[in-house]
Amino acid sequence: MNLKKKISLLVASIMAATVFSAAQADQLDTVIKRGALNCGVVLDFPPMGYFDKDNKPAGFDVDYCNDLASALGVKAKILNLTWGDRIPSLVSGKTDVVVGSTSDTLERAKSVGFSYPYFVFKFQVFSKKGSNINKFDDLKNVKVGAALGTTYETEYLAYAKKKGWGKNNYTSFKSENDAYLGLYQGKVDAIISTNTNIATKLQTKEFKGYVAGPYVPNYDDVVGLIAKRSEVAWINYLNLFLIHQIRDGKMNERYNKHFGSDVPADLIQALRDNK
Amino acid sequence: MEYEFHWNIVFDKLPQLLSGAFVTLHVSVLSMLIGIAIAVLLAIAKMSDSRLISLPATVWVEIARNTPALFQIYMAYFGLGAFGIHLSPYAAVLSALVFVNAGYLTETFRGGFLSIPKTQYSASKSLGMSSIQVYRYIILPQMFRRIYHPMTNQFVWSILMSSLGILVGMNELSGETQRLQSLSFRTLEFFIVAAVMYFLITKFVLFSASLVSQRLFRGDI
Repeated sequence: MNLKKKISLLVASIMAATVFSAAQADQLDTVIKRGALNCGVVLDFPPMGYFDKDNKPAGFDVDYCNDLASALGVKAKILNLTWGDRIPSLVSGKTDVVVGSTSDTLERAKSVGFSYPYFVFKFQVFSKKGSNINKFDDLKNVKVGAALGTTYETEYLAYAKKKGWGKNNYTSFKSENDAYLGLYQGKVDAIISTNTNIATKLQTKEFKGYVAGPYVPNYDDVVGLIAKRSEVAWINYLNLFLIHQIRDGKMNERYNKHFGSDVPADLIQALRDNK
Repeated sequence: MEYEFHWNIVFDKLPQLLSGAFVTLHVSVLSMLIGIAIAVLLAIAKMSDSRLISLPATVWVEIARNTPALFQIYMAYFGLGAFGIHLSPYAAVLSALVFVNAGYLTETFRGGFLSIPKTQYSASKSLGMSSIQVYRYIILPQMFRRIYHPMTNQFVWSILMSSLGILVGMNELSGETQRLQSLSFRTLEFFIVAAVMYFLITKFVLFSASLVSQRLFRGDI
């Protein structure tokens, strides 16, 4: 075989490979054929995701993974992620979907595909009783911490910059748990977290002497499921799934289990409005 | 590959990445210099005949060499925190890196010391030099010459391990990378650029070290 022939053979085989891969099944088909849903959850964020006392994944997000898997008729495989792992896990194909309280910013949507919102959080200050943090501006001369790479970190830093507070009072922690540990040890005077996580922590004996403070002003944290941006049909399915969670009463059931009450009407309304 | 790379987002954030890179350079160079000073003392202590002096040095070296750096950084920050000793993230990472650097270099230096013939000690002594003078003028210059290259390996190690500063929220290159990627989710782009920066920092440090060595060790090696 001369060089020309070799090259044309190579080109032909590359083209053939491209055609075959273009005809490949999309994510929805892949999941159904595989018989398993690889579902990423941040298991460091109670009550959305955590390890229960038997060290098994549990939480609102984990239940959503299981609901999604049973809707698809497949088995759910829960993968534990950190906040920073969410995108790499999708890009590398380790997860099909991440149910990980991901704030749906337009900047992020350039990189990853978002479903409709499935939850709305408030960001809140958490500190020791008697620390006198009554409004968000009281954080001015207070040592504040939050988990690295979260939206509340971004929101706090933007607010601090706007007010000219500087970065010196701020510490970021690698994970949500480390932020609470840092507060507990007194490394920081206050942390910012979500209202749901704070409510859970307030029930533990370590945080008896602590109090949930003011909300981050003018900010609703609207979160969605994320998947590969190109998998439009798959995201379409996820959207319908979320609508059914509300319509079929599954969301209310899950909310009751993890928050001890019915879903507040304004949360349902917010999800419908933000859709 | 179906992934589209978007590089402009990374280039916009280059100033923040560079400031992170500077912190990385800063903490690793400082941890190395302090580590070298401590390691010389530890190596001499470890070779001492008195167990009272050699034992603490041995314990230091054993702990530093046989536990993960990740664990040490975590202990320096949260471990000491449990006892009410609060180091800043920078101080925690610096002290952990100094601890490991000193531990590893002690063994390297000890090898260097042992490779210098004992007769040189006695010869210098017989010329009327004090112990300090013997080390200062005879032993240390030769020792550093011999272990120079293994020592630069440790240098590279501390630059790369400073990335574990992310564990305790230090704003070094990895921490900045992680924060910036979370804004846009352009994870791969930011990580690739950070890797290139680590490579350049390492090359820069090795190059500077070789310039220093040419000046220090003129005429031999």
